[in-house]
Amino acid sequence: MSSSAAAAGHIDHHHDATTTTGIPHKKLFMWAFLASDCMFFGSLIATHLIYRLHPPVGTPDPRDLFSIELTSGSTFVLLMSSLLMALAVNSIQKGNVATTRKMLLGTIVFGLIFLGGQVYEFNHFVKVGGLTLSNSVFGSTFYTLTGTHGTHVAIGILWLVLMYIRSFKPVDDSAGQGWILRGLFHFLTFTGLVVVGMYTLLALIHAFEMGHGFGYYFSHHSLSFIGSLVLLGGLFWFAKPRGPVDFGEANAIDVESMGLYWHFVDIVWIVIFPVVYLLEYIVLP
Amino acid sequence: MLLVALIPVVCGGWLSGPQSTFDTKGPVAETQLDVFYVTLWVTVAIFAVVGSVLAYATIKFKARNEADEHAEPPPQGHGNPLIELSLIVVSILALVIIAVPTLKAIWYTYEVPEELMEDTYEVTAIGHQWWFKFQYEDEMVPQPFGGEAPLVTANELVIPAGRPVKVNLRTVDVIHSFWVPKLAGKVDMMPNRGNHLWMLADEPGYFWGQCAEYCGESHAVMRFRVIALAKDEFNAWLENQKSPARTVAASADAQITTAFADYGAFAVNQPGWTPEFDADPLGSWNALQAPNADEDPALIAAGRQAFIENRCAGCHTVRGHDGIGNIGPDLTRIGSRSTIAAGLLENTPKNLYRWITEPDRVKPGNFMAHTRIVAPPGMITMPGYTMRDPATGDRNPTDGDIEITPEEGHALVAYLHSLK
Amino acid sequence: MDQSLTKNEFIGHEEHAPAAKRSWLFSRPDHKTGIVSWLTTVDHKRIGFLYGISALFFFLVGGAEALMIRLQLAVPNNDFISAQTYNEMFTMHATTMIFLAVMPLSAAFFNYIMPLQIGARDVAFPRLNGFAYWLFLAGAIVLNIGFFVKSGLPDMGWFGYAPLTSTAFSSEFAGDMSTDMWVMGLQILGVSSVIGSLNFIVTIINMRAPGLTMMRLPVFTWMTLFTAFLIILSFPAITIALVEVMMDRNFGTLFFEVSGGGLPILWQHLFWVFGHPEVYILILPAMGIISEILPCFSRKPLFGYPIVVFSGAVIGLLGFGVWSHHMFTTGMGTVATAAFTVATMAIAVPTGVKIFNWIGTLWNGHLSMRTPMMFALGFVWMFMMGGFSGIMHAAAPADAQQQDSYFVVAHFHYVLIGGSIFALLAGIHYWFPLMFGRKVSEFWGKLSFWVIFAGFNITFFPLHFVGLNGMPRRNFTYDGNMGWNSINMIATIGAFILGIGIAVYFVVMIYTYFKGEKTKRDPWDGRTLEWSIPNPPPHHNFDVTPNVHARDAYWYEKHHKAEIEAEKAKLAAEDEAHGGIHMPSNSWFPVITASGMLIGSIFFCNHNFLGAIGGLVIVFFGAWMWSVEGPGGYHLHPTKEGSDDADAQH
Ligand code: HEA
Ligand code: HEA
Ligand code: HEC
Ligand code: CUA
Ligand SMILES: [Cu+2]
Repeated sequence: MSSSAAAAGHIDHHHDATTTTGIPHKKLFMWAFLASDCMFFGSLIATHLIYRLHPPVGTPDPRDLFSIELTSGSTFVLLMSSLLMALAVNSIQKGNVATTRKMLLGTIVFGLIFLGGQVYEFNHFVKVGGLTLSNSVFGSTFYTLTGTHGTHVAIGILWLVLMYIRSFKPVDDSAGQGWILRGLFHFLTFTGLVVVGMYTLLALIHAFEMGHGFGYYFSHHSLSFIGSLVLLGGLFWFAKPRGPVDFGEANAIDVESMGLYWHFVDIVWIVIFPVVYLLEYIVLP
Repeated sequence: MLLVALIPVVCGGWLSGPQSTFDTKGPVAETQLDVFYVTLWVTVAIFAVVGSVLAYATIKFKARNEADEHAEPPPQGHGNPLIELSLIVVSILALVIIAVPTLKAIWYTYEVPEELMEDTYEVTAIGHQWWFKFQYEDEMVPQPFGGEAPLVTANELVIPAGRPVKVNLRTVDVIHSFWVPKLAGKVDMMPNRGNHLWMLADEPGYFWGQCAEYCGESHAVMRFRVIALAKDEFNAWLENQKSPARTVAASADAQITTAFADYGAFAVNQPGWTPEFDADPLGSWNALQAPNADEDPALIAAGRQAFIENRCAGCHTVRGHDGIGNIGPDLTRIGSRSTIAAGLLENTPKNLYRWITEPDRVKPGNFMAHTRIVAPPGMITMPGYTMRDPATGDRNPTDGDIEITPEEGHALVAYLHSLK
Repeated sequence: MDQSLTKNEFIGHEEHAPAAKRSWLFSRPDHKTGIVSWLTTVDHKRIGFLYGISALFFFLVGGAEALMIRLQLAVPNNDFISAQTYNEMFTMHATTMIFLAVMPLSAAFFNYIMPLQIGARDVAFPRLNGFAYWLFLAGAIVLNIGFFVKSGLPDMGWFGYAPLTSTAFSSEFAGDMSTDMWVMGLQILGVSSVIGSLNFIVTIINMRAPGLTMMRLPVFTWMTLFTAFLIILSFPAITIALVEVMMDRNFGTLFFEVSGGGLPILWQHLFWVFGHPEVYILILPAMGIISEILPCFSRKPLFGYPIVVFSGAVIGLLGFGVWSHHMFTTGMGTVATAAFTVATMAIAVPTGVKIFNWIGTLWNGHLSMRTPMMFALGFVWMFMMGGFSGIMHAAAPADAQQQDSYFVVAHFHYVLIGGSIFALLAGIHYWFPLMFGRKVSEFWGKLSFWVIFAGFNITFFPLHFVGLNGMPRRNFTYDGNMGWNSINMIATIGAFILGIGIAVYFVVMIYTYFKGEKTKRDPWDGRTLEWSIPNPPPHHNFDVTPNVHARDAYWYEKHHKAEIEAEKAKLAAEDEAHGGIHMPSNSWFPVITASGMLIGSIFFCNHNFLGAIGGLVIVFFGAWMWSVEGPGGYHLHPTKEGSDDADAQH
């Protein structure tokens, strides 16, 4: 990573000699996009704040609704995912594909936990708190703002998954369809695992909450449990080494742009979290 | 050259009309006009200077012929920071000249000045698609079902002359804007927001106003009038307004004597104004305050009957005459108003007949003829008029629709015009 | 200096993938002609041309709508068109002119000219560039569907103030979706503009020819950069506002629902936070064009280049702080009104700087009065007048009488037609010889200019007066006793004169395209790099990437011939040593992805959510294939001027 690396035939990750400024196109693009995205979130946060500070009569008190502990937890998880993302970028810059993959997977899992928390939270607010998209402006702005952020996270996860699968593209892709098809199934397996896995996990939690224990869980959710195991196996199978891959140090810029996006989405949450969840605690002591 | 351009303006009456912003009749509009003149003269002066230099440069440095075009290029100068800087300074100075009176006027036009506060008269104007309701907050009148409520009129705002009037601006549906150019610039009626403006008519007078924010299909014909009256006249007007609707007594066996006029067909967007009225609008308005000479009590009674039978009463209030609705304008004194359909048509028998029999052709989309498909919460929908088939132009009444026969129409006209 | 190695890494992996062995899914279309070559194009010049043609088409559509408006207003109490139709006409007239005519026409020049001015062979992301165009077309189609379906066209005015856009007030019958079309169409156009702009930003910052420092950039390129920044920073506001309306209409949220405590004023803020920068998005490219034409035809560099550039930046920045001058009548209170008044007036300073420097450019020049120069001078005059009426608006108390009257209509047509349109028409004349190698005859060009100029002033100058005489805008009819009759008649006649002028302009252009006088290279004695190449430009633009030594790079080249020749030869040899000129391959996926957006959004407007998801699937498929097919590319070896010789595709 030293600046003389280019001369030695390595890639200098901080300078791209083909561009005027030395910054790779993709990185510059991502920075400009994030500037734009700031305005997206800015508009949404402004909307939320305006109604928060001028609440129409009958607006529910957010303090009765939010569970700061839960959301702080998922906030922490999201922060940690950024750490893993940084590590992924770091390892791909060293050309270490194996570690990169692991870190990508870690980021994905943490991102999913965050999303899971949000799904749980939304569900809880609707069912228990009685807060819906359409029964108060607070609900409208809350779900739209946090939902838009959640969508950003989801897109990030999708991107991570695709990048992960992309990392299996063989150097020799003359067989064409072969790896593409495998990639597609790889992707589907992944999606399947996320869905089925989430489901079994929730069932497990539910079983424990109800005090039913493992036995009950296995007898009632055996299918999905076995399903997740099979899908997990599939994932391992797809990830099996199959000769040299066309993914390496040269793709560092791809991973890095993705990382920029991921960190940004993270930072946005750092803004949203106090504005949405902690406002009353900050403004009204 | 500019002066030449101004000739048609002055001679052709381009700047004088019922809604001219130059023909101001009160201090608010006056102040706004003064600010306009400041901006006008400053920019015209700059335009004259910059334009002359530009014109001079264009003419002076123009290549006269082909050869000239291909001559050696001129010296490749790159600019002169000193000139640029001084021009910036001059521009800023020019803007300061504009800004100072502007800022003063912003504060002046916003709120009634302290020294006049005492004397301020307050009314509330409420925008509806597509008409205005006026509410006199301090004048309470008894209501049909008991209790009291502020006096309500519609589409013609009567105010005392020589006193500041504070108008609270509200709306029941979309954004409208309250604009009487000769008295004051506009302020919007925003949903969920309490706006206001103030204005003062120096002299008694009759003023044209119009909704100035696009508010849907008939925005263009959402108009109104303001009538400023001298103190005594205003008070007399108020007293009359507060009493219940005027009833023309008819003996039980009276016969209808009026011959039916045939008003004939009329075109879409046909003008509804008369030059006679415009010649002396305030005088014409005053004349309308007294009952008609040729009233036909029997016809009026029939009209009153038709008013209830056709469910007009369900949408319109006629205090003391069973009219209780408030979807449409208050009609308690419709006969003394100079316009109908929100300032669109002058209140002549012909126009009123036209409005009552075919409101949908007079004012597209209006909610006397149409009913909303999606009623905003709190709004009652009820069956409206029969609609014309857009293809054939025929009327196809369906159950519950209102259809006015020519006889009923004439009777309604007589009745409404008796409500002075 | 091992450039070749790093270069290849970023271009793709052509070394790994010889053409013959690629699977059919990834075989890149390499048509040079025919419809496929256009559908799959990634060439910035072709994309620019597509933008231009579409924009001109929509300009005529918007103009036809304007003529409908003027016909209806020609006489009082007219019933040429119904109120409903009239409202649809002005809504679509404005939406079309702004989003489908002026913006894409500017984008056409950004695409075509900007890369040439910076000595690049394409933009940074060629496929994304194609995608931006196809998305634009999708948005334009969605906006205009109302012409063909029962719902009709949107009718809530171009700034769609809430709550007129809510279902309660905008649905004449169940299933009315004209408003949904407007909302969806604008969202798609927004995405298209943002994507296009990101591409331009990266291109300008990152793909300048060697030696082309920022302070040597042609002013048009500078204005492209500023416009692109304005777009990426202002469009999000309207996109979010539109999303909120969309949610209100489809999912029952309460953002602007009055009964639920929604605040329609919030829409106004969000809209104008976008809307005011938007008007500078419309004018900055125009100013860029003017700043190219005036020096060229004065044969003199732009007077005060640094300060012209800087003032462009200041206009852009201030543009974000003045939005509420569109809301002076909403009862903002004294302090806010005063602040926005002052901020708005401040914009006169940087704008004045531009005017002064343009005059400075003329001063001491050798002005050749060709058609582009006529339009450019017309611009300076007309824009100045439009700016002055803007200053009159900025004085809030005066604006209380002007807002929503024809005075505003006159103001913005002066800046939009006298400003943007004049400059764009000038630009077409100016760059026409470059694009097509032919030139419009001076007589016909000047004739069209004078007719347009006269027609424009006859139409819009009197409208100032009718506005001050109390005529509100957006009125489908007016009464004959208001003192507005003669002006409206004059304006209508003017509009037809203007229409004739524009018709002449277009007929002459079409004639010239087929039969016009052929021109040699650099017919105007240009100053910037685009004139250094043959006309029409070859596919790869520059045989040799130029080395820039000064501002007005080509002018310098022309005056330092020997030095440049030697340098060129050296650079050409270097290029060839690297395997020739690298060019991007065509691709199907931009157009496929955009069509997914089109299909999805039409279904969405129809409340057919299954179909909407189907559209999204196409989008996903297109994007995925796009990313796995890789950038591709092939090499060219220019043999002699204008003809090139392509390697096999990679
Ligand atoms: C190309 C588009 C464009 C441009 C460039 C401008 C430029 C300006 N506009 Fe305009 N404007 C519009 C397009 C544009 N506008 C549109 C479309 C609307 C209506 C939207 C709608 O309601 O539908 C509108 C409406 C509008 C309003 C709201 C009116 C209302 O609805 O009540 C205002 C108010 O302040 C305003 C002000 C200005 C100002 C101060 C400038 C300034 O930038 C002008 C600066 C230029 C000059 C002043 C001239 C040159 C300067 C000099 C020679 C220097 C010396 C001069 C002085 C010191 C004064 N504009
Ligand atoms: C860049 C923007 C732009 C441009 C170029 C124009 C161009 C024109 N505009 Fe418009 N206009 C707006 C932007 C623009 N306008 C906006 C933003 C509004 C506000 C809308 C709102 O309130 O929401 C507006 C509103 C507006 C109104 C006010 C409507 C109202 O408030 O009720 C009027 C009225 O005269 C008008 C007229 C014209 C005319 C005569 C032209 C002329 O310049 C047009 C010249 C062009 C032609 C005449 C075309 C010639 C074509 C042919 C000859 C052939 C036609 C054939 C085919 C289509 C095949 N425009
Ligand atoms: C569905 C409700 C409804 C019914 C029924 C109704 N009106 Fe109206 N009326 C309105 C509304 C709403 C307006 C205002 C229309 C506008 O100007 O846009 C109005 C306006 C009027 C006006 C003009 C008032 C003014 O100040 O400008 C008159 C007169 C009138 N109605 C008479 C009648 C008569 C007579 C009938 C019965 C035959 C009737 N209305 C039935 C709703 C109704
Ligand atoms: Cu009410 Cu326009
Ligand atoms: Cu503006």
